[in-house]
Amino acid sequence: MTAVSSPAPARQRTPVRRRAQKRVGTLGRNIGIGVALFFALSPLYWMVTTSLKTDLEATRQDPSLWPEELTASNYHELINGNLPFGSFALNSIITALAAAVIGMVLSALGGYALSRGTFRLREPISYLVLIAQMLPLVVLLGPLYLLLLNAKLVNTLPGLVVGYISFAVPFGMWLMKGFFDAVPREVEEAARVDGYPRWQILFRVVLPLTIPGLLTTGTFVFIESWNNLIYPLTLINTMDKQTLPGGLILSFTGQFKTDWAGMMAASCVTTIPLLVAFFAIQRSMVRGLTAGAVAGE
Amino acid sequence: MASISLRGVEKRYGSELVLRDCNLDIDDHEFMVLVGPSGSGKTTLLRIIAGLEPLSGGDVYFDDVRVNEVDVGDRDIAMVFQNYGLYPHMNVYDNMAFGLKRRGLPKDQIDEQVRRTAQLLGIEPMLRRRPKQLSGGQRQRVALGRAIVRDPAVFLLDEPLSNLDAHLRVQMRAEILKVHRAVTATAVYVTHDQVEALTMGDRIVVMRDGLIQQVGTPEDLYDHPANRFVAGFIGTPAMGFVRCTVRRTADSAELVGPGLRIPIPQQRAAAIPPDVDTVEVGLRPERLLLEPASERLGTVTGVVEMIEQLGSEYYVHVDVDGAVVTARAAREHRVRIEDKVQLRTDGSYAHIFDVETGAVYG
Repeated sequence: MTAVSSPAPARQRTPVRRRAQKRVGTLGRNIGIGVALFFALSPLYWMVTTSLKTDLEATRQDPSLWPEELTASNYHELINGNLPFGSFALNSIITALAAAVIGMVLSALGGYALSRGTFRLREPISYLVLIAQMLPLVVLLGPLYLLLLNAKLVNTLPGLVVGYISFAVPFGMWLMKGFFDAVPREVEEAARVDGYPRWQILFRVVLPLTIPGLLTTGTFVFIESWNNLIYPLTLINTMDKQTLPGGLILSFTGQFKTDWAGMMAASCVTTIPLLVAFFAIQRSMVRGLTAGAVAGE
Repeated sequence: MASISLRGVEKRYGSELVLRDCNLDIDDHEFMVLVGPSGSGKTTLLRIIAGLEPLSGGDVYFDDVRVNEVDVGDRDIAMVFQNYGLYPHMNVYDNMAFGLKRRGLPKDQIDEQVRRTAQLLGIEPMLRRRPKQLSGGQRQRVALGRAIVRDPAVFLLDEPLSNLDAHLRVQMRAEILKVHRAVTATAVYVTHDQVEALTMGDRIVVMRDGLIQQVGTPEDLYDHPANRFVAGFIGTPAMGFVRCTVRRTADSAELVGPGLRIPIPQQRAAAIPPDVDTVEVGLRPERLLLEPASERLGTVTGVVEMIEQLGSEYYVHVDVDGAVVTARAAREHRVRIEDKVQLRTDGSYAHIFDVETGAVYG
């Protein structure tokens, strides 16, 4: 009798224990997400609230979590003041957009060659491209500066675009390679049988199938270029050609004082295009970064 | 329409030779099936005919014109791929019209050809649908339509039915044959399914390890296999093989083994070289019968290992001293597993192979 009845409570206890374990697991996961969100969002919160504080409140020794006196003066000053904010923004838009478009085209062509090319050095070149991506930007800055100097492109917007493309394209190529790898070869071969030459197959069959990849690559290059500080600071030396990150640093930081509130207001405005771009392609970006990860995708 | 000739075709991937000295003539309007197990090189051979795979050696001729250097798009071929290869971003109409547009045909002619083909295949109602909105069978029809709409000289099909369920496969087989009759193109069809090969091909090429084993009509391959591999590959259930000794007397000959004695006609015995004593004997299931003993018929004795019920009849797998042969039996013959049975066979239908090379005698 005992032998028969003993497993029964064990069977009853197991689901209870499992449910408890599940609850603890969920709680742990939520705490983890909360901590990660705190680290990710608190700088944003600080940026937004500081932009709404007075200059005095923003720099006082005991910082306030929420502005004691809400003010839009920093935004007013940004638009109506002496700061060439419009010029910075225009330069940023021109260079980031140009880099995004050119980077997208180069990444697509390079990625296609890495994915479908039959040349002997395809694999070593693929990895060289990846290694280039691993080098810190600062390491590339010296040689890039010399190249642009010789090409008379220092202190020009095209020069800055070249700089942006140089660091964004290697990653973009790998991103696009993942998308091209996911396009079944049979689809391309069907187009070959239909009589289309290779370049037409790329433009009429393969690229339409990799639009999420193209958007992801373009947005990635745009965001990277828009946020880049070190290249404009090094390659541009006049304020009229400066972009937003470099311009803001140079304008709001002085020898004796930094206008934190003003800088945060400018940063808020600067962040908006990035947020719009990111949310617009968020889903395809996730798909883009995981392309090729699942067999048969 | 075109005839195809392969002369000494070879294909190498690195150091690995995947096709060896392939010689084949495919007649105009013929339906030729390439069949063989996985890795036998049949798809590679098809891709070489298509021009999708460069040759490592040999020549390919279309109507006696060497096409080795002719690009795939200029060979006037159409191909149906195993996974359909439809353009996912185009609807059915555009999928079918894509190749015609490349040829610069006027819009109304393209429209006429696409609709006529769609009607032939019964896919007219789905012309505006995208491939992902279609079932497997419908996709296969579209792939077929895309291939025939261009009225190609050569029609290549690479395991087109392998992704379909058994019922649909049988239906599509008939459909493909109907289409082939309608378009009069030369067709080369790759499959690993020998039933598909037997039911569809005017002639069949059996391949193994990159070598053509035998080319012939379905009846040829079934009744006169060139070697042990073809004999075992063609036919369901497969031919059973038993090792035997050849016993010759002045006026008769018989094949003898443990539990086995099969008299064979003199001319069959004459085909076996006199110095050969041991041979491999192949017996088709329909030639092994559960019948009473008779003078003329040979006897194969063994133990029933497995019974396959087919409803109208059944197959009995019999262990003959370690070798398994299959016999076809009528429903009235009642046998059970572990039963000792005596099977009768007519020696004139026995296939006799060389033990070493597998080549057929006679």
